[in-house]
Amino acid sequence: MLAYAGRRVLATIPVMAVVALFVFSLLYIAPGDPAAIIAGDQATPDDVARIRATLGLDRPFLVRFGEWAWQILQGDLGTSIFTALPVTALIRQRIEPTLSLMVVTLVLSIAVAVPLGVAAAWKAGSLIDRLVMTLAVFGFSVPVFVISYLLAYVFALELEWLPVQGYTPLSAGFWPWLQNLILPAVALGSVYIALIARIARATMLEVLAQDYIKTATAKGLGRRAILFVHALKNASVPIVTVIGLGIALLIGGAVVTESVFVIPGLGRLTVDAILRRDYPVIQGVVLLFSFCYVLVNLGIDLVYVLLDPRIRY
Amino acid sequence: MDRRSLLKAMAGAGALAAGPSFPAPALAQGAAKTLRFVPQANLANFDPIWGTQYVVRNAAALVWDTLYGVDAQLRPQRQMVESETVSSDGLTWTFTLRPGLKFHDGEPVRARDAVASLVRWSARDPMGLMIRAIQAELSAVDDRSFRWVLTKPYPKMLLALAKNNAPCSFVMPERIAQTDPFKQITEYVGSGPMRFARDEWVPGARAVFTRFADYVPRQEPASWLAGGKQIAFDRVEWIIMPDPASASAALQNGEVDWWENPIADLVPLLKKNRNIQVDIADPLGNVGSFRMNTLHPPFNNQLVRRAVLMAMNQEDYMRAIVGDDDALWKPLPGYFTPGTPLYNEEGGEVVKPGGDLAAARKLLAESGYKGEPVTCVVAQDQPITKAQGDVTADLLKKLGMNVDFVATDWGTVGARRASKAPPKDGGWSMFHTWHAGADCLSPVGYTAIRANGDKAWFGWPDSPPVEAAITGWFEAATPEDEKAAMRRLNKAALDYVVYVPTGFFLTYQAWRTSLSGVTKGPLPFFWGVSKSA
Repeated sequence: MLAYAGRRVLATIPVMAVVALFVFSLLYIAPGDPAAIIAGDQATPDDVARIRATLGLDRPFLVRFGEWAWQILQGDLGTSIFTALPVTALIRQRIEPTLSLMVVTLVLSIAVAVPLGVAAAWKAGSLIDRLVMTLAVFGFSVPVFVISYLLAYVFALELEWLPVQGYTPLSAGFWPWLQNLILPAVALGSVYIALIARIARATMLEVLAQDYIKTATAKGLGRRAILFVHALKNASVPIVTVIGLGIALLIGGAVVTESVFVIPGLGRLTVDAILRRDYPVIQGVVLLFSFCYVLVNLGIDLVYVLLDPRIRY
Repeated sequence: MDRRSLLKAMAGAGALAAGPSFPAPALAQGAAKTLRFVPQANLANFDPIWGTQYVVRNAAALVWDTLYGVDAQLRPQRQMVESETVSSDGLTWTFTLRPGLKFHDGEPVRARDAVASLVRWSARDPMGLMIRAIQAELSAVDDRSFRWVLTKPYPKMLLALAKNNAPCSFVMPERIAQTDPFKQITEYVGSGPMRFARDEWVPGARAVFTRFADYVPRQEPASWLAGGKQIAFDRVEWIIMPDPASASAALQNGEVDWWENPIADLVPLLKKNRNIQVDIADPLGNVGSFRMNTLHPPFNNQLVRRAVLMAMNQEDYMRAIVGDDDALWKPLPGYFTPGTPLYNEEGGEVVKPGGDLAAARKLLAESGYKGEPVTCVVAQDQPITKAQGDVTADLLKKLGMNVDFVATDWGTVGARRASKAPPKDGGWSMFHTWHAGADCLSPVGYTAIRANGDKAWFGWPDSPPVEAAITGWFEAATPEDEKAAMRRLNKAALDYVVYVPTGFFLTYQAWRTSLSGVTKGPLPFFWGVSKSA
């Protein structure tokens, strides 16, 4: 197991290198110029050219890539062109809100979706099943921003139970932290709940049709034991997979959710950086996201082995 | 249904809905000593000389003071300066600073700080560059006085030091002001009424300013950038809200106090809320514009440019920007801000209400236009430029031109418009923008009016009559001479079509009625504003 984990960790290095080269090349060929944005709308062409030169944007691709790669190898993600702050500091500022949003969304989604999916499979064809699947279709079909606005309207503007916007750090207390995250987590979780519930239902249906379940039923085993001991454990590999892959959805959805609910997270940092062509920030955040993906995939692979001893690499 | 429509519909329903509401702890207001403000844009950097975005200037006005400041009558008034003298030949200016001025780090403000700041500012500012060109000496005489010696008189000296166009001549400590003007400062030490709380700065999310206890305000009442800047708050928090619907909801809920630029779609809703006051933000408004590239066909041909100017209907542009609110726009047959002393409409008959498409088509035919594509680059991520771009695309098609509409983002437009290459090689034919009315009062800082060829703003117009009129204004000794020069300038610029003015428009600001003292101006002035608990 340890050797396997070690091999998987080592395999991430070339992946990260390719990602780094890809990201740097993309930004180099993409249109847009941070100097023009810095200089402002009323600046003269000379001003823009001077700023380009001071930022080193007029130097050759290979020189810039080499410098950047060397920096990365030293653990330095560079300095934001716009804020003059280290990229690592900007990421540190923004990582807690995004992680908080993702954790609350994940916990909420798993807590709601898995029982719903299992119940729908157990009562396949019943009213409960149809209701769960209708909710799942709703969650998939309605864009996150629509749900966000609806939630903000009902629970913040009308009922005034929760704030419209903002983020309070966990250090300020659990409830202040949570109350800012409830609406965005529900909005963001809607898609995720739908996805997990559908997969859980489908997988459970498949497992419940297996001979060993029939045998267990014939032996007179209780419903709970059949569902949670025999069926759910065997259905959990695809569910874990979709939870892992769903983190990609979370990152994408977080961009919209963070904007609507004014959460100062990595999603907004990324969008702002892209719009401003703040190359070091874009590169730093994309590298971080890529690293997270690799880690999540690694985690999923390791969980597979724990869940199903037959899986061996 | 897009986001904006949805929120509008929902928010409208919310305004009409009646029912009890229960204040929740989550919505508890901050103390009356904290002002929560939603600025027009993200404060992405904080060097008002290096980056000249309006939002940076607005924040800088809290932190850094200026030697002079314009008041609401557009007159330069002393601010950090106690007195000034000018020699009888107009060549030697001597300035004396007010006593007791301090920087936020506790150091006194000295003349050499002002000198270093002026050196850095003058390398980036159009008026500063003009002064540098005739500068013989700029040096500190002692701790409180400095001298600026010129080789020829510069009558607009005080206006240059007082103007609110970015970059303003903010005074920084000498060690910071010695930074290359094309490199960003990293220390934000000013002598203004508020300190910048750097440790609380989350670019893209929040900027915080705290009261500077040692600030010494002038004794006169505040008026725009002039007078006594009395701040009633311990903290001013800027909360960056990229989503207008969220900003609207937060203002309605009392989570923020003041929103600098609510979008036109949401203004009717805000006006219905009795806890919210909505008013014009800046009486100097904005001048809509599209700019043509005079280096390449078809707009290297003055007749083609004039044909487009004649065909254009400003009402189409203005309605696209401000909607049906007639209080928010007016036609602009010229280049200068309506209602200000130098405004004139000389030569403006070419800009006819409704446009004159028939005459424009005739002129276009006479021009020899051969169907060359017009590469129109439009920033879709800016509502004002997008709205104007859509109108222009339609206009050019009606006129019979071959339109290559390039819809992109501002970052790309900003880079592409700097290219002098032909449109087919990555250049451009036209782009849209707008100019703050505060920048269009006179040729001071009005980059877009210049027509000095290679040195001009993007589009590189080259018109000796325009430049002669500008020089005439700078050299004018009397108000009458100034006005005459401005009339010549307006006509020459329209004849040449330096750019196409698409109309004059205003925007709103909105604030909770618990605030008082909010004024109209070219930037949000926090002095004089207070908040009831």
